[in-house]
Amino acid sequence: MTDPKDDDELLVEQVATAWRPPVRDALRYHPAWHDLDAEGRARAFDRAKALREVEAALDPEGLSTTVRAVLARISG
Amino acid sequence: MDTDALLPAIQLRDASAFGQWMARAEPPIRESLRSFATLIDVEAIVQETLLRVWQVAPRFEPDGAPNALLRLGVRIGRNLAVSEVRRTRARPTDTDDLDRALAAAEAFDARESAPDPMLRERIAECHDKLPDKPREALTARLRGAGATSDADLASSLSMRLNTFLQNFTRARRLLAECLRKQGVAIDPELEA
Repeated sequence: MTDPKDDDELLVEQVATAWRPPVRDALRYHPAWHDLDAEGRARAFDRAKALREVEAALDPEGLSTTVRAVLARISG
Repeated sequence: MDTDALLPAIQLRDASAFGQWMARAEPPIRESLRSFATLIDVEAIVQETLLRVWQVAPRFEPDGAPNALLRLGVRIGRNLAVSEVRRTRARPTDTDDLDRALAAAEAFDARESAPDPMLRERIAECHDKLPDKPREALTARLRGAGATSDADLASSLSMRLNTFLQNFTRARRLLAECLRKQGVAIDPELEA
């Protein structure tokens, strides 16, 4: 049996990614976002903010995965 | 740097220039939406905001003050967030959440951000020191560029989703620990 705290942690980790499912004519929510409570959602916001900074630092052009995702939508 | 220096190229539909603009605009736009974080998926709002800035940029006339396009982005993001909270009002939320979020967004001062070259160097050094599996998971997220789900990234590495996420968590924490040892101030959530 897994610890619910571990399950919450994995949900936060998933929601903190820049990936969002392609949806026509609607905002692209991460499916796991709906499973988080208020505390988890706040943590996912902070986690995403911290990760975007790391991603930009590791990208040759200084772009986060959020920026890359938007550029893909523009060119797609 | 005034981010509006990139505006002429953006208005000529230069996606590379818009990428550089977004690199500076994304952090303050995201931060301006902090107060909505428990109500709506802010990542979705940030991406939609950046997309809409690209769409309206050709018709945008700056007001002469610095970072005009960034300030427009903050306004677009706030309006999108408010619309989304109202649309999803059927979901139970704490009383006055929207009022609090609105007040915080109104008070937000659009700032400029620029990448720190020293920090970039330190993060790259720490990334190279990661053990194989955690580094693979972190690298896969970077290469996925927000276009590939964690489930697909895990599959590409022949990992189960939970294993992939556990490796990613380990990479994040080890990276934070390495940076802290080098005297870099760490966002607490990076090592949580």
